[in-house]
Amino acid sequence: MKRFLVMALTLIIIMTTIIGCTSKVDSVASETVAENTTITLAAAASLKNCFEDSLIPLFNEKHPEITVQATYDSSGKLQAQIEEGADVDVFFSAGMKQMKALAEGGLVTESTIVELLDNAVVLIKGSGGESDVDSFETIGNAETIAIGDPESVPAGQYAKEALTTLGLFDSNANKFSLGTNVTEVLNWVAEGSADVGIVYATDAASTDKVEIVAKAPEGSVGRIIYPVGMVTKTTHEEASKVFLAFLASEEAAKIFEAYGFVVNASK
Amino acid sequence: MSFSPILISLKTASLAILITFILGIFTAYIVVSIKSKGLKMVIDGILTMPLVLPPTVIGFMLLAIFGVNRPIGRLLLDFLGVKIVFSWTATVIAAIVISFPLMYRAARGAFEQVDETLIMAARTIGLNEWKIFWKIMMPLALPGVLSGGILSFARGLGEFGATAMIAGNIAGKTQTLPMAIYSEVAAGNMETARGYVWVVLTLSFFVVVSMNYFSVKRFDKSKSNASERLMEGEEWA
Amino acid sequence: MGLMIDIKKQYKDFTLEVNFDNRGSRLGILGASGSGKSMLLKCLAGIITPDEGKIILNGRPLFDSVQGINVKPQRRKIGYLFQNYALFPHMTVAENIGIGLPKADKDQMAKILKIMDRFHLTALSEKYPRQISGGQQQRVALARCMILEPEILLLDEPFSALDDHLKDHLQKEVMDYLSDFNGDVVLVSHSRDEIYRMSDSLMVMEHGKSSFMGTTHEAFKSPKYKYVAKLTGCKNFSDLEDDGTFYFAKSWGLQYPKTQFLDVPKYLGIRAHDFIVHHELIEMPSNRLLRGKVLRTVEDIFELTFYIKPLHPSVSEDAEVVFKIAKSKWENRKIPDALILEIPLEHLIPLYA
Repeated sequence: MKRFLVMALTLIIIMTTIIGCTSKVDSVASETVAENTTITLAAAASLKNCFEDSLIPLFNEKHPEITVQATYDSSGKLQAQIEEGADVDVFFSAGMKQMKALAEGGLVTESTIVELLDNAVVLIKGSGGESDVDSFETIGNAETIAIGDPESVPAGQYAKEALTTLGLFDSNANKFSLGTNVTEVLNWVAEGSADVGIVYATDAASTDKVEIVAKAPEGSVGRIIYPVGMVTKTTHEEASKVFLAFLASEEAAKIFEAYGFVVNASK
Repeated sequence: MSFSPILISLKTASLAILITFILGIFTAYIVVSIKSKGLKMVIDGILTMPLVLPPTVIGFMLLAIFGVNRPIGRLLLDFLGVKIVFSWTATVIAAIVISFPLMYRAARGAFEQVDETLIMAARTIGLNEWKIFWKIMMPLALPGVLSGGILSFARGLGEFGATAMIAGNIAGKTQTLPMAIYSEVAAGNMETARGYVWVVLTLSFFVVVSMNYFSVKRFDKSKSNASERLMEGEEWA
Repeated sequence: MGLMIDIKKQYKDFTLEVNFDNRGSRLGILGASGSGKSMLLKCLAGIITPDEGKIILNGRPLFDSVQGINVKPQRRKIGYLFQNYALFPHMTVAENIGIGLPKADKDQMAKILKIMDRFHLTALSEKYPRQISGGQQQRVALARCMILEPEILLLDEPFSALDDHLKDHLQKEVMDYLSDFNGDVVLVSHSRDEIYRMSDSLMVMEHGKSSFMGTTHEAFKSPKYKYVAKLTGCKNFSDLEDDGTFYFAKSWGLQYPKTQFLDVPKYLGIRAHDFIVHHELIEMPSNRLLRGKVLRTVEDIFELTFYIKPLHPSVSEDAEVVFKIAKSKWENRKIPDALILEIPLEHLIPLYA
C-alpha cells in the first residue's frame, strides 16, 4: 500500500511538471536569448494559427532582438483587457468595432491603425465532393447546410446576414444545421454529412478537407475588417513600430494570403 | 422556447427504447446461456463498450459507418438512396448505441439473479426453452429489466456528443433537447436554456423515482428458497 | 425394469464415475457433501451431460455417448424434487402444479384438482409459495413432479434442511405419498438414518466414485469396506496385523484366531452401540474383553458417549474407542475412571479395504 502511494505521488509530480513545462514552452515559444525587447501582441483567435506557425517565427529570424509574446482571444475580451490596463503593445482585432472603441478611449494611437486584412465569407463543400450548389444563389439546391449558430458564432452571424440579404435565409431555414463552433461546421462539411457550409475564408483555408465553392457576393455581407494598431501606453514604441512595419510588408502579406486572408492594398 | 426539441427528443428516445429493449433482452439472454466463460467475457466486453467510451468516440465510429464518404454510407446512398447522417434516423441510432449497454447489463443482471434451480426444475417438468423464457425467466426478471429499460430511456433522452456528430443540429429535425440547451447557453439565452433544463430535470426525476419503485418490487418475488425462509423461523403445517 | 447407469464426467479437480444397475424400487445414495451425489442426479435428469457412458431407464436409453443419444431433460420423464423445492415464486400452488402439463391436455383442471386432493393441498391452491410452510412446499413440489407421471423420482436431500422433530413426520408423509408410485425412486442424502429408513438398496459415493452395496439393511450390517462402514456410522476401527495363526487388532490390543474369519480382512470394525459394558469382573475369553481408561464423556439427551483409551500396552498413543449407551441402560451410575467392554463376536465387522 505504501509503495503504491509513493508511486502514485511520484507519477502525479512528474505529470504536473511535464504539464507545467509544456505550457511554459508554449507561451515562451518566441523567447530566445536575453538582451532583447519583448513586445506583447493581443490578437483575435482567428489569427492564432497564422501568427504562431508562420509570422512570429519569421519575425524572430529577421529581428532576433525583438521577442513577440502573443495572447489570443475573442476581440471583445481583448478590448476589455486593454481597457483594464493590460500590458499590451500591439492589438490586432477581428473587427473595427473594438479598435474604434479603444481609439476613442485614447488607448490605441489612431495614427498607427491600419485596416490590414479582410476576411471573406465563403461557401464550402467537402473536398472532391459533388454538389448541385455552385454559388450562394443556388444554395437552395442543397439538402442540408452547415453554418455556425448565428446567436453565438460570429461566422454564423455573417452567414445569416449574407443569406438574408440575398433573400435565401428564411426559405432554407429548415436545412440549417447550427454548429456551436466553426470546427464543428467544418467537420460536418468535410464528412459530407452536410452538403454545403458557410464559414470564413480563413476557416476554409485551415483544412484541405473542404474546398471553397464561392465567395459571398459583393454587398451581401458587410466587410469583415481586421485592423491592427499600437497601444498608446506601450513602453516599447520602437519595437512595436518595427513589428507593425513587418506586418505591413510583402512577405507578411504572402503569409496572410496563404492563410485565407485578403490583404488590403490601401495601407 | 419552442417545443420542437422536446418533441424530437421524446420521439427519438421512445423509438430508441423500443428497439433497445428488445435488443437488450435478446442479447442478454444469449450471453447468459453461453457456457464458455472466456467467450462470455469477451462478448460482454464488446457489448458494454459504448458505456465507457466518450460519446465523441462513439460518434466518430458511427460516422465511420454511416458517413457518406465511407463504404457503408456510400453503399446506402448509392443503392438505396438513403442518407443516414443528418437525418432524424441518425438521432435514433445514436440513442440506441449509447443506451444499449445499460439495457443489456440490466437485463443480464436480472436474468442471472433468477434462481438457477428454478430453470432446472422447469426443464425437468417438461417446459421447452421458449416457455421457460416467457413464463419463468421474464416474469421473475421483470423488475430488473424494467428498471434497465427506464434507465436506458433516460440515457437515450440525454444523448448529445454522438448525436451532434452524425445527426447535426437541425432545428425541427435533429435538434434534441440537450443540443438545444447547449446552443441556447452558447448564445447567452439563459431564460430559454433554463426552460429546457427544467424539462430535463423533471423527466430525469420521474425516471429515478420509477426505477426505485421497481427495484423495491423486486425483492418480494425473488425469494424462492424454502430453506432460507426456514432459517427465518417459519411455522409448519 | 430399473435404472442402469455407467457414466464418467471429468471436472478440474474431481472425477465423477458412477456405475450401477438397480433393480430394486428404492435406491438410496449415501455420501458426504461434495461426494458428487447431486451431480449424479443432475446427470440422470439431463441437466448435466456426462463426458461418456450411458444411462438407460426402464430399457429406454436416455444418454449414450457412443450412439450420440442425449435426451433433453424435458423428455426424460424424470421427476426431480430439488433440495430447495424450486417452486416458482410468482405462481400459485395450483399454477405451479399444473404448468408442466401439456397445453393439449384436456383434463388439466381435473388432474390438478385430483392431485391436490391427494396431497392435501386443495385449501392452499391459490396461495403463493412464500405464503405456505416448508412442509407444504415440499408437497407442492412433489405434486408438481407426480402429476406428470414420471417413470422415476429423484429426491435430492429432501429432509436435510429440516428440524429433527419435523423430519420424522415428513419422512413418513412422503413415504405415504409414494406408496402408490410404481416407478423407481432414487433418494440422495448424507444422512444414514434417512437412507436406512427409506431405501431398499444402497449405493455409496465418495469423491465422485460410486460403490453399489446391495440391500440397505445388509449393507449397514455388513459394510465390507471401511469407508462404507464409516458412512454407515461405525466409529471404531482397528488395523489387523498378521501374526501367523492370529490376527492382532492393533488399536484394541486384542487377538483373533484366523479360523474365525472366512476370508482375509484388513480391518475390523465395531459399532459404538454394540459393546456390552460390564461393571464387575467377568470370566470371558480374553480376546473378547477390552479394558480402557475413560478419557472423556459426552452427554446427549438420550445417550452417553464414552471416549476410551484401551489399556493394552501395544496399542498406539492416539488409539481411541467410542462407546455409546442409552442413558436408561446406564442407570445413572457414576462415571468411572476405567471401563470393561465386551465385544460380542457376532458384532465384529470384518472389512476388506
